[in-house]
Amino acid sequence: MSAHGPIPILRVGSNLLTTIHIDLHDTVAEAFQQDVLLSIERTGATGLVIDITGLDEVDTYVARILADTGRMAKLMGAQTVVVGMRPEVAATLIRMGYLMEGVETALDVDEGLALLIDRQNKKRRGT
Amino acid sequence: MRRDPTPARSLRTRLSFDERELQSRRNFFGITDDDLARLARLEPFAHKHMDDVVEEFYALLLGHPETKRFFPDDATVRRVKRLQREYFVALFAGRCDLEYVENRLRVGAVHEQIGMAPRWYIGAYRKYLSQLIERMTGDLGHADATAAYESALKLVMFDMSLAIDAYIAANLETLGRHQAAIRELSTPVIKVQDRILLLPLIGAIDSQRAQQVMETVLLRVIEEKAKVMIIDIAGVPVVDTKVADHLMKTTAAMRLVGAQTILTGISAQVARTIIQLGVDISSMHTLARLQDGIELALSMLGLQILPAKEPNP
Repeated sequence: MSAHGPIPILRVGSNLLTTIHIDLHDTVAEAFQQDVLLSIERTGATGLVIDITGLDEVDTYVARILADTGRMAKLMGAQTVVVGMRPEVAATLIRMGYLMEGVETALDVDEGLALLIDRQNKKRRGT
Repeated sequence: MRRDPTPARSLRTRLSFDERELQSRRNFFGITDDDLARLARLEPFAHKHMDDVVEEFYALLLGHPETKRFFPDDATVRRVKRLQREYFVALFAGRCDLEYVENRLRVGAVHEQIGMAPRWYIGAYRKYLSQLIERMTGDLGHADATAAYESALKLVMFDMSLAIDAYIAANLETLGRHQAAIRELSTPVIKVQDRILLLPLIGAIDSQRAQQVMETVLLRVIEEKAKVMIIDIAGVPVVDTKVADHLMKTTAAMRLVGAQTILTGISAQVARTIIQLGVDISSMHTLARLQDGIELALSMLGLQILPAKEPNP
């Protein structure tokens, strides 16, 4: 286990919110992925907001973990939005050619939740 | 009033002129301790001739129209003559250390500041050397004069190299300041409406500018919590594969921070070029007119522009 303990995952309505504030590496990353998926399973959440405002550095490894987590959540019926990416992080990822395709993004937690709720409402009305 | 000359110490640091560089350059110019000692022994000689050397020196500069304009009045002439006497005597101080270097660098920096080109002071140094050899052969025996001249020549050439170094450095700095000013002007991000920003790009885009555009728009998007960034490229003369690639990268980066990009100002020519080059920019919202871009941006926020008065059906 990491020295920081697990990354907290909060439930907000039918969505989950998690704020990453520590380095996502090795065991931490794996535990994080596992926790997120278990929470989706347990709560039946239809959306997931991953807030990375606290990350000053995101390398392609971490970016891939985030993208993978999003894809896994999607398989379980939860839409993922990554929010709060810092401009220098975005510029670095693009420079490295990592576009994070397939991952939804939003400016901050508010926007991310709004986006998910908007989607869910549309879906409910549609079906 | 005159601006203060660039502080010599910082000039030396910026040129990374340290003890090692000093030794290396002294080696290259062949300046030995013997040379310095020989010059130091000539200090009385320097004091004896300093006044007439400086007078003759300025006779040259003031006799030439292009150099005369650097000395507009008598006060200036008196001041520079005094400085010149100090300079002349310092050649015979028997030292060539970092403090000496700082002193000499200042000469180049001041010349750059007043706009005196190196050709003039290289010519002026020539005058110095002529005067030196004339007076040395007059005062000293042939062998001594030759040796003394040889030592002085080394130091004068060394000085000249420093003056030119400083001149170039000061020049580059001026250039750098101008470039910084241009860079600042090159990414004017404008707020069109809450959460909508506009970047009108004007002029050629190279990799450096593209990089800067990306960083600036990302920062501004976060600052303004913008949702849409309109980039208008009507003022960009050439849109080639590289520029298109930069624009797509910027769009991708914007998406990562949660904002959308709309590209407007695409002329017929640009549209043709992009397709002919085989660039796929289908991932971007593109429009011909800025006006349409603003309307699209508003609709992304669930807003629209309506006439003030509803026309009757």
